[in-house]
Amino acid sequence: MDKKKKSVLVSYLVSAPSLTLIALMVVFPILYTFFISLTNMSVYHWFDFTIIGLQNYYRALFVFDSGFLSALLATVLWTAVSMLLQLVLAFLLASALNVPKLRPRKVYKTLLMFPWAMPGYVSILLWKTGIFNSEFGLLNQLMEALGRETVRWLSTDLSAFLCCTVVNLWLALPFMIMIMDGALQSIDRSYYESAILDGATWLERTRYITLPAIRPIIAPAVIITIFTTFKQFDVVYLLTQQMGARTGSGFHTILTYAYENAFVTNNYGYSSAISILIFLLMLAFSARFQLREEGDA
Amino acid sequence: MKKLCAILLALVLLLTLAACGGKETDQNSFVIWHDKEDAVAKVLEDYLKTALPDYTITLEKKTSLTDSLKLVGNDPSSAPDLFLFAHDKVGLFAEMGILAPVEDLLPAGALDAYLPMTVEAATYKGTVYQLPLYFETLLFLYNSKYMTPEMAPETTEDLYAYMEANTGRDRFGFVEQHSTAYYAAAWIHGFGGEILSADGTPFPDPQAVKDALRYHQKFVALMPGETEYATVNTLFLEGKADSTIGGPWMVPSARDAGIELGIAPMPTVDETGLPLAPYSGVQGVHVLTHAAKDKPEAVKALLEALLDPTVGVELALASGCAPARSDCYEDSAVANDPMVQAMRTTAEIAVPMPNLPEMDVMWTVLSNLLTDVNLSGKDVDESFDEALAEAENLIANMQ
Repeated sequence: MDKKKKSVLVSYLVSAPSLTLIALMVVFPILYTFFISLTNMSVYHWFDFTIIGLQNYYRALFVFDSGFLSALLATVLWTAVSMLLQLVLAFLLASALNVPKLRPRKVYKTLLMFPWAMPGYVSILLWKTGIFNSEFGLLNQLMEALGRETVRWLSTDLSAFLCCTVVNLWLALPFMIMIMDGALQSIDRSYYESAILDGATWLERTRYITLPAIRPIIAPAVIITIFTTFKQFDVVYLLTQQMGARTGSGFHTILTYAYENAFVTNNYGYSSAISILIFLLMLAFSARFQLREEGDA
Repeated sequence: MKKLCAILLALVLLLTLAACGGKETDQNSFVIWHDKEDAVAKVLEDYLKTALPDYTITLEKKTSLTDSLKLVGNDPSSAPDLFLFAHDKVGLFAEMGILAPVEDLLPAGALDAYLPMTVEAATYKGTVYQLPLYFETLLFLYNSKYMTPEMAPETTEDLYAYMEANTGRDRFGFVEQHSTAYYAAAWIHGFGGEILSADGTPFPDPQAVKDALRYHQKFVALMPGETEYATVNTLFLEGKADSTIGGPWMVPSARDAGIELGIAPMPTVDETGLPLAPYSGVQGVHVLTHAAKDKPEAVKALLEALLDPTVGVELALASGCAPARSDCYEDSAVANDPMVQAMRTTAEIAVPMPNLPEMDVMWTVLSNLLTDVNLSGKDVDESFDEALAEAENLIANMQ
């Protein structure tokens, strides 16, 4: 065996444990879901299920109705708005954290990371009852203090969309701030010193030095966050759609819509087919983003 | 060093293989899964220890009990022998084939001493799959500081008049989880309607459901917009709501909050003469098929021990549960507990939650319908038609 082949073999060998773990935790569930989607596994055939081919996929296409399409549009809009706000706010906050001579920098950083340390479920429910609740929430307390009528913040599609976006920002900002902060600190200070000597304004320094320098560093984080936001379930479900605590809003992401229209049936074959179709949809989005990233590079 | 590593690895492998090896059935030990509060579990554990000293009985609390059973229900090495849960999943688990009929494991006529409603709840397609222990249902509760027993409404119109006179300025005459399916069911039953018939038909009497929804709207208008459990509970406990429809689980916190609690019979709907009939949930023991097959005698001994009225009495005294056995109510301590007696009375009108698998989707469908009608202000007829179509579609997709 020549040296090159041996080296390839060794690299595969040392990567084997990680690859096995990834295969077990990521690839196997996807393959198993695909297998289940080809069966009639349901309450009535829980342990004695048989393969029924692509029948579930044929039925699953009926879930992709006008309701699904509007949920898909809402999901795209939700992802775009959330991402835009996250990027702008995280950039501003990270820039503020990097202001020279900022004294309690570590205190601010810790405070900004706080939402990340709390379980998402708890944060969302705290927002729901503590801030948005029409009887006891902080917002309505403020409205009353100002002599205004109280509002049911989560009752309409638009207001629910905005409230969900705010909560999502609260949950997601720490990650983006951390990445931005790291990226900002990696920029060589001499660039700024030269720019200042040349008379560049803050806006010009940001546009010609900061943004180009941090772009390659934050790109993977942006892609990760786009997909986390796109497949967001908890925020929308817990704030507006939770069983026994619905608020009247019809705002759905594709996952909450699919949950309500498929997963409650306990028909695992059918639900798996829908999961695989959503997975393919996201894969298509992912491929498009990846291609764009490569094209831009 | 290499040798030592090799020996250690071999030992780990051997131990792992040994752990994966077949598990022999221990005839004298039981694992019972449950999701109940500690007081209930303790009563059962203590009672079973005394009643069956030769057996080792472990009660394990599981938060996602039904999901866990779906995964391991037919695997004797991972599944429990029995589980304690509400009756509404009986159909689901019976269809999955993991439940054993309990009548075959009980002495003949053993269930004759039980309240008919509890046995009905435990029966799916003519077979009893649960040994009932106790049940819960909703009650009309009021704060005696604001509502005296004489003021407690006998009819829904009385209730409405009370609400009109006492709602406003941060106070509500009556609050309930008006857009939650479990609570709204009482109003639908009060109009003679059903959410799911015994043969699995969704909304078998559409007109009754529509009438109930329409009539209920005027009550909803006098309640807060958001009425999930936390809001209703807080309003009542903070003395901002005079009355509510709630379960026995509200009682300890109401007493802790210093509320002098009153209990009244459910109001009767003026238009139909029928009372608001809430759903009831019957909590009981289910036997898994593998346990019934592998250790039938031990399971029989355990079920027989649970037939003793002492269990029901102790549960009633410890946590205010309403026993499923009729003779438990003859105990003087139980007879003097107003909460338990109120539930016993409500059991006459309460409707056991349907135990058909189709009910799983009906919770979602009714919840959507209530949200549309009560919170989004949509038309009742239109929303109902959409809900019926959704129900039929989801039920078809269960197959």
